[in-house]
Amino acid sequence: MTETKKFVVTRFDPDEDETPRQQSYEVPVQPDWKVLDGLNYIKDEIDGTLSHRWSCRMAVCGSCGMMVNGKPTLTCKDRLSNYGDTLEVAPLSNFPVVRDLVIEMDGFMEKFQSVKPWIITAKEKAVEEGTNRQSPEELEHFKQFSMCINCMLCYSACPVVGNEPEFIGPAAIALGHRYNMDSRDEGARERNEVFRGEGTVFSCSYANECSEVCPKNVDPAAAVNQAKINAVLDWATSFVVPRQGQGGK
Amino acid sequence: MSRAAHPHAMQPHRPGSTRTAPPQMPPQFPSQGRYLSYSLFGATGILYLMAGFVALRAVRALGEGPEAWAALQAQFAHPLYVAFHALSLLAVLFVGVRFFRLFPKAQPAKIGPAKPPPRPVIHAMLYVVWIAVSGGLALVLAGGIF
Repeated sequence: MTETKKFVVTRFDPDEDETPRQQSYEVPVQPDWKVLDGLNYIKDEIDGTLSHRWSCRMAVCGSCGMMVNGKPTLTCKDRLSNYGDTLEVAPLSNFPVVRDLVIEMDGFMEKFQSVKPWIITAKEKAVEEGTNRQSPEELEHFKQFSMCINCMLCYSACPVVGNEPEFIGPAAIALGHRYNMDSRDEGARERNEVFRGEGTVFSCSYANECSEVCPKNVDPAAAVNQAKINAVLDWATSFVVPRQGQGGK
Repeated sequence: MSRAAHPHAMQPHRPGSTRTAPPQMPPQFPSQGRYLSYSLFGATGILYLMAGFVALRAVRALGEGPEAWAALQAQFAHPLYVAFHALSLLAVLFVGVRFFRLFPKAQPAKIGPAKPPPRPVIHAMLYVVWIAVSGGLALVLAGGIF
């Protein structure tokens, strides 16, 4: 049986609107639909001018994060049956809005790059030397933090991101911490220097909202606060343990 | 037959970067839902600031002699001071419990070869230390030791 739900969607056209406005749509929904299905119905059948990002529809690409009834949500994962007759859909908080439900991501990408999210080694290994081996126990140290899909829900939920735009944010720190914990990496020293700088791990006041909204159970709050301790330990040990080479795990 | 692609289709209407709507804070911030706990946590800082001034006042009274100290003690019996200290105690308990709830997962996955114990064990250790230190302080204040 088809049910009808009212979607109250935030709209913003940079060429026409001074500020975002709301527009309502009556959508006939199927019982198994997700929020994204409702938005796609609006786009396909009611109002082709609506803009929103989506791709994989299986909670992997991280494109379709939006505010649904005030909460950051991955709309391809969130069932419409979780909501009543009316739901409000808005672009992610704490981000500039390009159009309708589409946010500006440039600042987010710059923050990501700042933590050097790649394996750093003092000396590159020759192909003939074989692969870098890693035990399951070593993988377990960081596996959780490598599950991030860059959906930006944690940035939208974090009150520190909203109050301090320069804060590099939960996902970027979790990613940097993920590489610091990787047994194949030798760049912890470089990343810890980044982490000890302005607007990084010590800006976090542990609201824990990032972990509450993460659709992949990454627990960025744990990463940020583990990174705090590691950054301090790294600073303290630098006085007694000589550092050599480019990396310095 | 499809039309030829328009060469300017992807260009913004105005030169330069696209105009954007400014970022908005989450609609529930600061007083609704889970943000309330975070806001209350931040607000306890005001009480700690005031408690700091009270402590400075107490130190000054101590320096001025027994009469000043006795006068300050008498002032502390005023209902406003009692309410302030009761509120401060609640704030300390709130921050302590919040900190203890979040503390275990903030531990490093390992330091050298050593791994932290399971989270329930860390929780239990924190509360045991807290109760022991509070008991020790209560003994000192009651004149049981020192």
